[in-house]
Amino acid sequence: MASGSRAALALGRGNGACGYKPPSQGPATAPEAAPPPAAFPSRLCCRGRSGAAMRGQHRCVPRACAAGGQDGGSHGAELLGRRLGAAVPSSGVSDRHDVPVLISEDTVISQPAKILNFLRKQRYNADYELSAKQGADTLAYIALLEEKLLPALLHTFWVEAENYCSVTKPWFASRIPFPLSLYLPGKMSREALNRILLTRGGPPLYSLTEVEAQIYRDAKECLNLLSKRLGTSQFFFGNTPTTLDAFVFGFLAPVYKVCFPRVQLQEHLKQLTNLCRFCDDILTCYFKLTITGHSPSGQDTADANLQKLTQLVNKESNLIEKMDDNLRKSPQHPPRKITTLKLAAGGEESSPLNRLSP
Amino acid sequence: MSLVAEAFMNQLAAAEPWPENAALYQQLKEDQILLSDNAASLAVQAFLQMCNLPVRVVCRANAEYMSPSGKVPFIHVGNQVVSELGPIVQFVKAKGHSLSDGLDEVQKAEMKAYMELVNNMLLTAELYLQWCDDVTVEEITHPRYGSPYPWPLNRILSYQKQWEIRRKMKAIGWAGKSLEQVLEDVDQCCQALSQRLGTQPYFFNKQPTELDALVFGHLFTILTTQLITDELSEKVKNYGNLTAFCRRIEQQYFEGHDKDGSAAASARSAKRSESDPDLNKIWSQIFTPECFCLAACQMPSSCKCVTHLGVQLVELMR
Repeated sequence: MASGSRAALALGRGNGACGYKPPSQGPATAPEAAPPPAAFPSRLCCRGRSGAAMRGQHRCVPRACAAGGQDGGSHGAELLGRRLGAAVPSSGVSDRHDVPVLISEDTVISQPAKILNFLRKQRYNADYELSAKQGADTLAYIALLEEKLLPALLHTFWVEAENYCSVTKPWFASRIPFPLSLYLPGKMSREALNRILLTRGGPPLYSLTEVEAQIYRDAKECLNLLSKRLGTSQFFFGNTPTTLDAFVFGFLAPVYKVCFPRVQLQEHLKQLTNLCRFCDDILTCYFKLTITGHSPSGQDTADANLQKLTQLVNKESNLIEKMDDNLRKSPQHPPRKITTLKLAAGGEESSPLNRLSP
Repeated sequence: MSLVAEAFMNQLAAAEPWPENAALYQQLKEDQILLSDNAASLAVQAFLQMCNLPVRVVCRANAEYMSPSGKVPFIHVGNQVVSELGPIVQFVKAKGHSLSDGLDEVQKAEMKAYMELVNNMLLTAELYLQWCDDVTVEEITHPRYGSPYPWPLNRILSYQKQWEIRRKMKAIGWAGKSLEQVLEDVDQCCQALSQRLGTQPYFFNKQPTELDALVFGHLFTILTTQLITDELSEKVKNYGNLTAFCRRIEQQYFEGHDKDGSAAASARSAKRSESDPDLNKIWSQIFTPECFCLAACQMPSSCKCVTHLGVQLVELMR
């Protein structure tokens, strides 16, 4: 384990919207150094299992943070990528309307499994220390999540009318450019319902309410199984996180954190305290989020910048005052009316600037 | 079904012991049943054998339509009809027989996870191969699926089923996969199963569980069914412990049964299998479909089939 390098993955999230603030910098030792993307320039230092600190330039469309888009575990894959590599969000939407999307230099990769393969080829791998049996267990549990938990997740986000209209649709529509924002959320909702009905909706379940009851029952059973498997350990395979932890986190975190009007799955999850602790651990370690949801590093930089600007303005105004004093005292020029500059501490920078400009 | 209905059914199930005349329904073994259905049916048969519960296998052309969930196999026990392995396991448990009682909570979670893995990857790959690979569809699936029905019903039914399966594949994201990717997924799944099995006799060491039955059903069917190419069975054959596992379960639970219940008979290949040429030759000589119609035989006077022997005998007696 590379204790020397720092896995700094800061993720600012304001008000549940998928906006990311630039995180703090890390040591630069990467061989690849592409120029930062224009929209949200961020660089993240990451730690691979091999111990080398590498910086990669990857842009990752953040929309997967809600319910894993169309594929389950996409959020988890994105998080694993973010944990091991540099994942920088951009505000654009990919042409294929597919989330998550990893855009690295020129390649566009769009599904969780493929993203993980790509990261593995770039030598970011969380599973070096797992035995063969544990690797097999990973695959099995991921299949369990996709079969049992994903339909309920899709239902909570996209099919449940209140949730969809009040949370999911505005959230997604706010990040998609105008003409598509009217069409894409509806399309994703229809696809989710389609998927649920096709995979779970056959006889003897004939109405949507019966299907819903069944999928929520399955999801609760799946959560119970995960809780039993996790037990009291910190991660699923000991003390270090692996791919399975990323996938489980990816499925659980949206259920746990997003505030929905209809929350039966969230209530069940909150009763399983070890899973909640697991999510919180990962959020604090890898996403530097406090429980309230504000990113402290993001706020700090903004505050620091503001403070610096105010100090600069104050210094300039003091200088000007001194100059005016000198001029007044000198006998050659008649006394001038001096406008005293009053600056509130930490106040708006626009008015002093206006006053300062000639 | 709702919780209330399920509890009611469990209570009904618990009321009576397992009868002697329990029946398992599946499609026609020789001509109609497909790879995925055969795997499911074999899994249920293996499970019931492991629980020591007698059941006789009944082959009906309309088994799929008789089933309460539309999927084969289903069992008819007393007054109740239960389909698919999951509900059958619960039904049998309500009757007081269970294979997984000895497992602790973590192991039960693992078992369920591995069963989902098999369903998610192996079953979906089988469905893909049967219904989305054009060559296989044309040559094997369509002829077999519609074989009990006259034209044009056979074509209509098989196109309908194909459309339904393709829709499902598209919804779960498998429609865009190529055959190589699907085979790679199968390989990954087999690797996971092989690593989990290791050198143990069963997945949870000493006693077989429903996971063993399910894995046996799928792997045995893949190994013994002849498709257009052998790629699928080659993927499984790469893992020696899996083939040994299949052989072991077959010997232990299916040996000594007659054709109706045995795994070997129910896993007869889509085309004639190469495993027992003499028996096949004799069998094919005694009964050929062409001769049965009495119109398609190439050499009626010297044909040795039962039909023509009968005709020849009659002629001799005149």
